[in-house]
Amino acid sequence: MNTTVIQLDNVTVRFRIPHEKIPTFQEYAIRWLKRRSISYTDFNALNNISFSIKQGETVGIIGANGAGKSTLLKVIARVIRPTQGRVFLKGRVAPLLELGAGFDYEMTGRENIFLNGAVLGFSRRDMANRLERIVEFAGIEEFMDAPIRTYSSGMVARLGFAIATDVQPDVLIIDEILSVGDTDFQKKSAARILHYHKNGSTILVVSHNPDSIRNLCSRAMWLAQGSIKMAGPVDVIMDQYSQDSMS
Amino acid sequence: MVEYDSAKSSPAIIDEFVQLIRYRDLVFLMTGNILKNRYKRSMLGIFWMLLNPLLQTIVLTIAFGTMFKSSLSHYAIYLLSGLLVWNFITQTTQYAMGTMAYGGGLLKKIYVPRATYIVAAVGNGMVNFFISIFSLIIIIIFLDHPLGAAWFFIPISILILTIFTFGFSLLLSTASVFFTDTLDIYQVLIQALFFLTPIMYPLSILSPELSQFLAWNPFLILIEMFRTPIYANHLPDTSLIVNAVSLAFTTLLAGWIAFTSKADQLAYRL
Repeated sequence: MNTTVIQLDNVTVRFRIPHEKIPTFQEYAIRWLKRRSISYTDFNALNNISFSIKQGETVGIIGANGAGKSTLLKVIARVIRPTQGRVFLKGRVAPLLELGAGFDYEMTGRENIFLNGAVLGFSRRDMANRLERIVEFAGIEEFMDAPIRTYSSGMVARLGFAIATDVQPDVLIIDEILSVGDTDFQKKSAARILHYHKNGSTILVVSHNPDSIRNLCSRAMWLAQGSIKMAGPVDVIMDQYSQDSMS
Repeated sequence: MVEYDSAKSSPAIIDEFVQLIRYRDLVFLMTGNILKNRYKRSMLGIFWMLLNPLLQTIVLTIAFGTMFKSSLSHYAIYLLSGLLVWNFITQTTQYAMGTMAYGGGLLKKIYVPRATYIVAAVGNGMVNFFISIFSLIIIIIFLDHPLGAAWFFIPISILILTIFTFGFSLLLSTASVFFTDTLDIYQVLIQALFFLTPIMYPLSILSPELSQFLAWNPFLILIEMFRTPIYANHLPDTSLIVNAVSLAFTTLLAGWIAFTSKADQLAYRL
């Protein structure tokens, strides 16, 4: 149980923001003719971040808007590669960042299960075996063959959650804890996550809700302006954080 | 156990290929979905794919057929076999650029191999190409055009054509992520190039200087390669085949290197 599952060494993510919008050939040509260089601002969304997480840990990430929380999750979920530094990850990651990424609203629930499964890297055969379980968990049996544009937003989110969490992942990445569906479904999804946690999944949570971080996590990390401001046991960090936001 | 190490991962050129194979089911589903969405909308569906080139051919044959009567006997076949190649290349590349520039939002949300979109666009283009080949067959039967032994070369030329189109799509979509007006510029350029490529007219009507210059037109090389066995019933010149093969593989290599080396920047740019 003591293996390192996630490790970041000096990770920096730099976005380059051009002062003038619209990167077109035309713009470039005009600027080139006018002998004016294009000015950029470099913006470090993450600044020299290093930490490691061991298997089975639950870590909460807190911080104000724009502190770099989502960028951190994206860098771990492999969506963006760090500008500098190294991200190391062991095991299968279930990113609950965008539930139902790649859903095609003209297609039926059934078709979308296969599509979203493929987006998550599962084969067709895998998904065929899981189909029934997913549909049951999402509670959409009667609507399976209707296009999902006819679904309520809650149903779409439930389906996305059911697909993403159908098999136990090694690492679960959760952005803004489970405000998915109605109370019943929220309980059901929380239970599933706790179950995976008990069975050894490592969990990484971003939330603005201090209570859910305290309840779920053993460790917390406080991000401010792209850097780690504080990290340690959840109670210590959360106390400091709430004091800081009061003042 | 799966591992991901942003520092140690194999070169992007290889890694992207490995990932694409791992996500092959996604590629097939995406291709299928593009086609499904397209044809579910209209009852005429596939029929349209047939009708469009047929109508185009009929109209152009009425307009220009008599003009080239002496030099091109079965004008409709000459025209359509060139037109099919032209449409395949231009439609596929435009589609690929469009999906990368406007539909690539998924790449910002979750990891999928970036080339998935391009492969799906080429797959979609191929299916459309095969469907429209039927319109060519209809005209061949209608005109009682002779079948020849050289026809065995057709699948080979389609393969070379596809390799080129894939590479070209990769190059153009990389550019279109960095410069959003790439698609607009491209559309203007191919419009002009269409009339500079002997699709509607025989190469022989051009002045020797101009036709020598046009020998470098990659579209012409690929069109000639596809058209010669069908229209003239003999194999294309060996030098033409060599040119086409080297063109296709150079483009693929250049496109793959450009695309994969910039792939990491896509999520930043889109």
